[in-house]
Amino acid sequence: MATYKSEAFDILRYKELLRNLVMRDIKVRYKRSVIGFLWVMLNPLLMMLILNMVFSEVFRVSTKNYTSYLLSGIILWNFFSHSTSTALPSLLVNSNLIKKIYLPKAIFPLSVVMSAVVNFVFSLVPLFFIFYLTDTHVGNRIIMLPLVVIIMGMFCFGVSLILSTLTVFFHDTIYIYEVGLLAWMYMTPVFFPESIVPERFRLIFHLNPMYYFISVFRGILYLDVPFFYEKLLYAFLCSLAALSAGWFFYGRYKDRVVYHL
Amino acid sequence: MSDTALKITDVSVRYRLSREKPKTLQEYLIHRLKGKKTSYEDFWALKDVNLEVGKGETLGIIGSNGAGKSTLLKVVAGVLKPTKGNVSVSGKIAPLIELGAGFDMELTGSENIYLNASILGLSKREIDNKFQAIVDFSELGGFIYSPLKTYSSGMIARLGFSIATEVDPDILIIDEILAVGDEHFKKKSKERISRFREKGVTMLFVSHAMEDVSRLCNSVLWMDRGSPRMCGGPVAITTEYLKAMV
Repeated sequence: MATYKSEAFDILRYKELLRNLVMRDIKVRYKRSVIGFLWVMLNPLLMMLILNMVFSEVFRVSTKNYTSYLLSGIILWNFFSHSTSTALPSLLVNSNLIKKIYLPKAIFPLSVVMSAVVNFVFSLVPLFFIFYLTDTHVGNRIIMLPLVVIIMGMFCFGVSLILSTLTVFFHDTIYIYEVGLLAWMYMTPVFFPESIVPERFRLIFHLNPMYYFISVFRGILYLDVPFFYEKLLYAFLCSLAALSAGWFFYGRYKDRVVYHL
Repeated sequence: MSDTALKITDVSVRYRLSREKPKTLQEYLIHRLKGKKTSYEDFWALKDVNLEVGKGETLGIIGSNGAGKSTLLKVVAGVLKPTKGNVSVSGKIAPLIELGAGFDMELTGSENIYLNASILGLSKREIDNKFQAIVDFSELGGFIYSPLKTYSSGMIARLGFSIATEVDPDILIIDEILAVGDEHFKKKSKERISRFREKGVTMLFVSHAMEDVSRLCNSVLWMDRGSPRMCGGPVAITTEYLKAMV
């Protein structure tokens, strides 16, 4: 029915649906509770406070401004982990729709990633507030923020396409990913500084795409990151790779999805 | 070609049921490593269906349960890509397959109109234009601004029907739901369907109600176990069908 290219055009044609899905997610989340709106901002702050209490003594020597380091890491990691985890079951969750009406199915993981972008933007508010409190200076690379958000979004979307399609055929993907994500987090310098990674693990560390995203994110915010532009390039290449792999995988199996829902 | 709304050529739909299909990723990988072959059974929901529907025609599709009627509709609607064969459709399709698909109970009627209509493929501008007409036809009045969870099932059905029929499709697919609600609303629904016929909308109508089928359709297709068994005039085919059911 739809080839790779025409499916992309289809998603554009259905942009009103995309907008409605994202709005629905935002509205439903905030309608339920007063705190719903604030939770997006409070959650990373609370996480940061707890981890700060536990680790700040340990890492204070090697990281100046551990609080900002921690919060920026948490916010970016949350963007990735929440968007991919929520997108993973998105085709299953919307199976009743997919089985009845023609829709470009990729719109579901895409709407999840876009909602995550909105939440990410909101969570920047407490981040800049903490920067202000801790006297952290924002560099002028901050203008690259939209670019980084877009690259990050592309990466998440690519990963989400693979996960959501795979889950239709193998329901246990969610459990495997849960564990995998946890391990992935420990391989990314979210709450610990790079310097504590022993020499023999450095290679694995540098193969992790999230390592580049998190370095670049901190780099545009406040940190003086060595090899910043090289890392930015790597991050961009990783997101292109993820997007291509995801689009290819999804395209290959999307027509079979309905037969398994 | 220009006055054919829908053309189905040699369409077959196969569901492959693997007997020891690995349902988990772990099992699948072990399977592959061991080089095991899964045995499977094929179930052909549709077999070599050929069909052509002209513009403005109303085609009724009848048959016993499991005959492939809903599968055929899904293939036409683009939901299911056939295992074999080709479907060519000219124009916009609106399925009246289960009204209110995608309704979210937390959102208001008005928000759901936008959501539901966008699921059916309408742009924001189109929805803005049709909004009032949808609300009027549903007769929901001020309730349109209340969340759907406060609606009765009848109200939800009326809203669903109202949205789906305002879409202004070229091809309308009706799967066993002709009219919902009370007598007054049922009458309005039937009038709307008649108006579609007058406008020259092509319709595919699946039903078990033989009287409706013979009354409304130009031609009728009798599906039996995945294949077309008979096709022709409404009265003739429905009579044959009823005879076979005895």
